[in-house]
Amino acid sequence: MILNIALKELKELLREGRFRVMAFVMVALLVLAAFISNNYYQWVNNQHVTAKENARNVWVSQDNKNPHSAAHYGTYAFKPKYPLSLIDQGVDKYAGISIYLEAHKRNDAQYMAAQDQTAISRFGDLTPDFILLFIIPLFIILIGFNSFTSERENGTLRLLKSQGVSPRTLAGGKWLGLFIAVLLVIIPVFILSVLFLGNVQDFGEFSIGALAILFLFYLLYYAVFTNITLVVSAWAKKSNIALVSLLAIWMVACLGMPKVANRIAESMSPYPTQSQFVAAVQEDERKGLDGHNPFSAEAKQLEQETLKKYNVDSVQQLPFNWDGYLMQKGEEHTAEIYFKHHEQLKVTYENQTSVYRVASVLSPYLPTRFLSMALCRTDYASHWHFSNAAEKYRIMMMDKLNMHFAENSTYGDWDYLADKSLWKDIPDFTYEPVTYSQILSSNLNNIGVLIAWLVASSLMLMVSVKKMSIL
Amino acid sequence: MFLHQIKYEWLQLLRDKWVATLLIIFIALCLFAANNGSKKVALRQAEVEASLAVMNAADSDFKANIDSVERGLKTVEPWLNPRRLNFIGNRAPRVAAMQPAPLAFLSTGQSDLFTHTIKPTLYGESYVLSFSELSNPVQLMFGSFDLAFVLIYLLPLLVLAFSYNLLSSEKEQGSLRLTLAQPVSLFAWLFNKMILRFFIMTTIVTTSLILALVISGIPIVKVFSSVLLIVALVTLYIFFWFTVSLIVNAFGRSSGTNAVTIISFWVVLVLLLPAAISQLANSLYPVPSRINMIHEMRIAKSEAEKVADTILSSYYRDHPELAQRDTTIQNQYQFYLGYFASQDVVKKSVAPVLEEYQTKLSAQQQFIESFRFISPSLLLQNALNDVAGTSSRYYESYRNQVVAFAEEWRAYFLPRMFNNEWMTKVDFEKLPSFTFHYDQVDSTRSTDTVGLLFFAVLTFVISSLVYRNISRKVLIT
Repeated sequence: MILNIALKELKELLREGRFRVMAFVMVALLVLAAFISNNYYQWVNNQHVTAKENARNVWVSQDNKNPHSAAHYGTYAFKPKYPLSLIDQGVDKYAGISIYLEAHKRNDAQYMAAQDQTAISRFGDLTPDFILLFIIPLFIILIGFNSFTSERENGTLRLLKSQGVSPRTLAGGKWLGLFIAVLLVIIPVFILSVLFLGNVQDFGEFSIGALAILFLFYLLYYAVFTNITLVVSAWAKKSNIALVSLLAIWMVACLGMPKVANRIAESMSPYPTQSQFVAAVQEDERKGLDGHNPFSAEAKQLEQETLKKYNVDSVQQLPFNWDGYLMQKGEEHTAEIYFKHHEQLKVTYENQTSVYRVASVLSPYLPTRFLSMALCRTDYASHWHFSNAAEKYRIMMMDKLNMHFAENSTYGDWDYLADKSLWKDIPDFTYEPVTYSQILSSNLNNIGVLIAWLVASSLMLMVSVKKMSIL
Repeated sequence: MFLHQIKYEWLQLLRDKWVATLLIIFIALCLFAANNGSKKVALRQAEVEASLAVMNAADSDFKANIDSVERGLKTVEPWLNPRRLNFIGNRAPRVAAMQPAPLAFLSTGQSDLFTHTIKPTLYGESYVLSFSELSNPVQLMFGSFDLAFVLIYLLPLLVLAFSYNLLSSEKEQGSLRLTLAQPVSLFAWLFNKMILRFFIMTTIVTTSLILALVISGIPIVKVFSSVLLIVALVTLYIFFWFTVSLIVNAFGRSSGTNAVTIISFWVVLVLLLPAAISQLANSLYPVPSRINMIHEMRIAKSEAEKVADTILSSYYRDHPELAQRDTTIQNQYQFYLGYFASQDVVKKSVAPVLEEYQTKLSAQQQFIESFRFISPSLLLQNALNDVAGTSSRYYESYRNQVVAFAEEWRAYFLPRMFNNEWMTKVDFEKLPSFTFHYDQVDSTRSTDTVGLLFFAVLTFVISSLVYRNISRKVLIT
């Protein structure tokens, strides 16, 4: 019986011009979005590959120079893009693309794309995630808002009830009919994207499994919207009212809640401004060891300790160049300060994230948004991961350079030049992204909320169909 | 007849509880959004003021120190001597602040991407100053709930809720037959219905805006012309959406179909077109590669650094005016002078790379900006950002003005250092200071208004044409 109702619903939908036009538009938009995103992706990737090579070339082709000059000259780490970012660009536009790795300083990623674009880009980009997250739910609403109301308006609901169709069957049938219609749009897109992404494999790691999980989450999201649409349609007296209410729900869930959550997150745990952050770091630096200032109290103390350890009475007698050693200790000290402040920043970020989690209870869009960009490795957590990896590399690099200076020169010899082979001895920066299992386990929260949405909205559908008035 | 109709429409609307609910919700949203915007602006203002306060406090410390050192009451390590010009140039930078424009609360625009306090120092290189604000990118992605959002996204929906069934409800109730039996023009009759709603909406929106302005503590009289402009823009935008609705109504479909059609228009004009334009234009004419620029800059820099160390003498050849007047003593700034000279060489070779990049970027941005004439919502956004002083243009100008100021800062110290001078207490008054000039930016608001006017007139003309050709018979059957 459920199947009969579903088939009838589907047939009706397919016959309707409204559905056909909209389904066509959906698929066309998705294909267009994928096409444009692909262009962009190729463009960015080509740049990335050359940039990485260039940065390495520039680094290794330095002349003989003082290791500390090389440390100041520094190099760049570039954030890679992964094929799944074709589907969801996430926060990529708002997080920088490259990190300058230099002595004494942990730099933030520079050059966020949004800064170079005009305010038009704040409307969003026509990327697949835009269609998948905003437009498809709207599509579900537009094809399903009158599922029950039109039956009520035509008086057929009365007939159905009199034939003894149980509310559960009716709800199941209607649901299936609407959801299959959505699948008719989504499945081809899924197949296309597998074929499509399979071809860009050379550009990075690509996993069909991750893509399948991503689509599963999207299907959950659509199931929730299908439920909500039917609940409202069962509850509303007229199609018009059902449509207006559903649109209001859509507006609140997809456009309103994220912005309201922003405001709450910002007032509950605000990010420091750039100048506050820099000032706090400088304040800590001033208090501690400065690798460039051998006269500070901290440096004197370290000097005494080191002399005692090596059982000599002057820095000239140390088996290494004291300048280089002091520089390295200073470097370690500043790295710690940066670590501390970034950890504090991370706490703020996590507090903000928990506000979004709470807001997810009012908007199925939010958990889906976060899951989608997490799996596409374009979320903020991925950015942090990259930034930490770059910092780890920077610390390693500074350690090598300073220790080379310490071990190969004598005290006071600031004119020491390292042989250019040293630059090659420092390995190139390689980045391993977060694994999918890590991504899933750190997003269990979002998965849970999405499933809770599905369960709750299904229950509501049962109840509202049962209590539905036939007039 | 006209007044008669208006009167009865008015009575009908008054009785409709939907109308009242929607309007109250809208006013509440406006106030919430205005509050959000004001909070943001207040934070920005506080940040600027805090930075200035820190600077002033530091200045008085430096002055006191200079005094003590001059009188020999205190001895300091040479590199911490506040009488040294290089020390002041680096440790006492001015705050180059971009104060919010009076109506900044209207629209966050690009203001969440950039910092508003920059402190250029003597050593740093002005061309690599970073203007990024530290923020959670998720916040940037979701955007803020400001008045611009309410006006651009939500206002059209309110208009549509008011008007999607102007004709169809009459038809569905059967009153259309009766009306059409009267000797009235269908278009005039519908237009009257629309005009009434239009006036109600405009009044409500204007009132909410003024209420928002008053609550946010903005002196309306001072920014009167801008407020008038905003009201005009919003009125045109409302009118545009009403006429769209009127056109859709003309096709005589059911209320439900009308609603779906009009919503589709909204989705296309407010969501899809802007997103598509931004994406397409960027792929047709990509933003020039930053990554490439970094590389070219580094190459230029390392080339220049190779020669930079040997150039102080040739620097004097180029700048004879800088040579020290009293040649009997050794210049205490010798080291820095060499540094400045080499900095100039580096800048000379790096500047073309940057300039080329900036030129390309501006051209690209202008190309994208010109696409705003495709959708009224883009026009409104652009105009609101312009009035709020938060569009890309203002931030580009801020960058340019700060870079120019950094040069001015350097130009203050350089000749004095070459002449081996000391910093004195009174010199603090002579230090260059920065004020951001909003008026240096080419404003787009008037072209945006013309663009919106064009859309409003266009849809009005289309609607009157559609109604002229409509057959009454088709409408009622």
